[in-house]
Amino acid sequence: MAAEKRVTVQDNNSGRLFPCGLRTTGTLLLTILLCVTLAGVLPAAWAGDSNDFVKKRRQMVDRQIKGRGIVDQATLRAMVTVPRHLFVPDYLQRQAYMDGPLPIGHGQTISQPYIVAYMTEILHIKPQHRVLEIGTGSGYQAAVLAELTDQVYTMEIIPELADSAGKRLKRIGYSSVNVRQGDGYHGWPEGAPFDGIMVTAAAEFIPPPLLQQLGEGGRMIIPVGSPFYVQHLMLVEKKQGKITTRSLMLVRFVPFRRSP
Amino acid sequence: MKREPAPTLRLHLSLTLLSAALIAFQLEQMQLLALVQWHHFAYLIISIALLGFGASGTFIAFCRPILLRHLEWLLPVLMFACSITMALTLTISQDISNRFDISLLFVEPGQAALLLLGQFIYLLVFFLGALPLGLVFISFSSRINSLYCANLVGSGIGGVSAVILMYFLLPQQLPALTALLPWAAGILVISRSRRWPVLGGGALTLAVIAAVVSYPPQIHPSQYKDISRTLDLPGAEIAANQPSPYGLVQLVTAPSLRYAPGLSLTYEGEVETVSAAVFTNGDWFGAVNNGEPSFLHSTAAALPYAMAKRDKVLVLQAGTGMDIIFALQNGAKMIMTVEPHQKAAAIAADLHGTSDGDPLHHPLVHHSSLSPRTWLALHQEQYDLITLPTVGSFGGASGLFALQEQYLLTREAFLELWHHLSPDGVLLVSTWLDSPTRNSLRLAATIGETLEEVGVDSHRHLAAVRGWNTISFILKRSPLTNNDIEQIRSLCKQLQFDPALLPGLQAQERVRYHAPADPRFFDNLDSLFSPAPRRELYSSYDFNLRPVSDNRPFFSQFLRWQGLPHLINLFGERALPFLELGYFIVLVSFGQMVVAAALLILLPLLRLGLPGRTGLQRWTIPFFSGLGLGYMFFEIMLIHKLILFFGHPIFAAAAGISSLLIFSGLGSLLSGRLLPHRLNHGLAAALVALLLLLYFFILPPLLHLAITLPTIWKILFFLLLIAPPAMAMGMPFPLGLERLAKHSKSQAAWAWGINGCVSVVSTGLAAIIAVELGFSAVMLIACVAYGVAAFSATFSPLSTRPGPTDHAGTMGEEI
Repeated sequence: MAAEKRVTVQDNNSGRLFPCGLRTTGTLLLTILLCVTLAGVLPAAWAGDSNDFVKKRRQMVDRQIKGRGIVDQATLRAMVTVPRHLFVPDYLQRQAYMDGPLPIGHGQTISQPYIVAYMTEILHIKPQHRVLEIGTGSGYQAAVLAELTDQVYTMEIIPELADSAGKRLKRIGYSSVNVRQGDGYHGWPEGAPFDGIMVTAAAEFIPPPLLQQLGEGGRMIIPVGSPFYVQHLMLVEKKQGKITTRSLMLVRFVPFRRSP
Repeated sequence: MKREPAPTLRLHLSLTLLSAALIAFQLEQMQLLALVQWHHFAYLIISIALLGFGASGTFIAFCRPILLRHLEWLLPVLMFACSITMALTLTISQDISNRFDISLLFVEPGQAALLLLGQFIYLLVFFLGALPLGLVFISFSSRINSLYCANLVGSGIGGVSAVILMYFLLPQQLPALTALLPWAAGILVISRSRRWPVLGGGALTLAVIAAVVSYPPQIHPSQYKDISRTLDLPGAEIAANQPSPYGLVQLVTAPSLRYAPGLSLTYEGEVETVSAAVFTNGDWFGAVNNGEPSFLHSTAAALPYAMAKRDKVLVLQAGTGMDIIFALQNGAKMIMTVEPHQKAAAIAADLHGTSDGDPLHHPLVHHSSLSPRTWLALHQEQYDLITLPTVGSFGGASGLFALQEQYLLTREAFLELWHHLSPDGVLLVSTWLDSPTRNSLRLAATIGETLEEVGVDSHRHLAAVRGWNTISFILKRSPLTNNDIEQIRSLCKQLQFDPALLPGLQAQERVRYHAPADPRFFDNLDSLFSPAPRRELYSSYDFNLRPVSDNRPFFSQFLRWQGLPHLINLFGERALPFLELGYFIVLVSFGQMVVAAALLILLPLLRLGLPGRTGLQRWTIPFFSGLGLGYMFFEIMLIHKLILFFGHPIFAAAAGISSLLIFSGLGSLLSGRLLPHRLNHGLAAALVALLLLLYFFILPPLLHLAITLPTIWKILFFLLLIAPPAMAMGMPFPLGLERLAKHSKSQAAWAWGINGCVSVVSTGLAAIIAVELGFSAVMLIACVAYGVAAFSATFSPLSTRPGPTDHAGTMGEEI
């Protein structure tokens, strides 16, 4: 959506600011860039999204995400749009689009692109949905969710991560994301009920308040695994008050048994 | 070269101190690295130490004349240098250890280089320590037996002392204090040659040690360790540190820490914050609750109590006592708890003592600090309920614990547990659900085979229930009654668990609330309770599901090479290491050690000439390789057998290494009295081979019998048992080296190098063979290795050509 926003803004601005088309192309572009940056619409760090990264991101989506069966167009668009390399430590930017998780400090990781896409697709998010994320980490997943709905709430218990993710999201242009530093156990009661809850930092138990804040028909997704290897995804659904779970494999099911 | 004679006793004492320091340092580093990273580095540290010894041998082979010419002042200087590096290792490697993380080894390209750099720093310590040892051995080859004895006895003492010190000192304090030993060793051998500069070096060394002791370096556990992640929570802090040979015990408090494993999704109450969490070596040990937690009734732990009243309860590996509290809540009249980690349990008990109720000091609760298997072997009482800790870890540990021995989850353990159940008693064991499914299926296989062995029908004695992330097996000594079945069904409904195994179970009941990832999960599970389908599943599944045994107690090791291509295809090469990280780390470090041993030991020696062309006796390579491999394989096998016998890895390592070294030292001394004839070293190796063959059959049953003895008798029995082979194992090396040194000193260097090289490689290789084939295979190979050594020494013709460097001067026997 950030890309879409940028296009819209450029159209609007060019129509409004330069009706006569009197400037040279260079000046025009520079002025547009300046204006929209000042207006806080164009992500400030967008300049860091070089063609090389754009190309890598497209390749990532084609090979790692579409190639593994993700078909939801909104999810695919979000994955193409969000500049993942801006959510990883500088020294790992070159590896940002590789097929794996990366460390972001404090024992946390930015998930493998495919996991992010799979979890996003599974939540079946619609533009009017409210989504809660527990475990902001770098903010990447929240940015992807923000491409699908404007009502994203994300919580991070580690103060340093919450602070840096909040600033990063703002800097890149996702100022609509609500970031809060706090204990995810309590959820975000003021924002409830949620249509989707994503618990990116899974624990041995699902906090009862989160189950209570999950709206009727809502879906909660929990990746289960160690920092560098998500084993499976746990999908929790609430239908007519009854809670059921479904464990989803990350690979389209292939039996681990070689004969019948 | 006339020099002032050095008092032999001082030299012996010096070697003893130096050797003690080197072994103590190894054990300390194993514990430190287990704290900062993970326990896999135990193998690596042994390999690096041996590599240091091997590399020093090669270095001596090249620089022998110059080294021996300056030996008098060089000996203390080398010992001081060893002392300084030992004291400073932690400080120097701090930056590396802050940036290195074993979890990132397969993620960040630079990590392998950091690992190598870290290994080099450790290598330097052992190289500098081994150099004076090797120089003394070569200089005094005719008195090698007593010197070798001093070396081995010193090493033995070092092992025991390190474990004792671990009770009192924090891991970061130990290396600097240990560095005092090589310093003292150096002081003992100061001679007149360059006395004042050398004394100056000694003073400088002491100053460095004093500085490090006064300001010990801080240690930072990996950011992926449990404790680091807990300390990241707002307001978290370490409330207490307690040193222990079992590992550093740390108590962490954090205002937002909650713990409710296996909680039902129907639980609507508040999950209270815990008052503290206990960690050992940075790994989660348990939570200490504020008062009595209310959530336990909403977990699978409630199942046995729903079926019947449980008067006598046995809690194995009780941790911080959650199951004890629950047993008390359910009206148990006698609770026996077995927790070998005394300090961790004590720290939790003390904290409980400050809260209401104090369940751990309740008059109905009895404690034992033995290992669970030792306790089971010692006691015959039967219990209405036996609980085991949950198998695996939530979310998995990426197979990080693949090489951890888990003797409580072997077939033999389950047989013992079965016999400790009262007529209506039940065993409750849960496992975290993983994907691809491994833990739960292996656990089911273990239970299935156990029941088959005791001759009961598993379909009538076994139930299992599944939550969203755990599966719990309930094994009953008598057949499940209709009432049992009804109670299990009722609780499942109430807590929204699905029964997975239960007499009369309908297919749809199994997935009422929780659908598994693998649609064949139930087919596979059912297969494990009938012999033919079970065998078929074992052979066709991508992972090894066979139950583990005391001979191969690696419950968390599932990888089978046949399944690898399929798994790579499914998960990709990048994800593969994380399916079984622990095993891959050992494989990687083994590969590194093979390359390093070849580069640092064998390659330089090739400059001395190839065997056969330069007069190197043909028996040298097989003989000294056989000794290196045989010794290390036996040592590794012994340590593993002793884990069950003594109940903890660190005691097993200390007892195994120390006893073997001390008796080998005595054997070496004894061998000096034998005629140094060509046949003797061959005969000595043959004697070892025969003894090992005998011990292959008698060691496991004898250790099993003696496991019930009181500790002091147990130690005495073990010492008597291990003395004959260990003494014999100390003989062939000095006899062979002496024999060779008489012929050519350069060949002695080759022998030293080959032995070191093979020993380096053998440590990792023994671990890999143990995983693949079991410890019996390791023992058999040790036996064969000594056999090969004996054969080569006995039947090879004696070459009389001198080696190429034999003209080089030596110190001779003047000192």
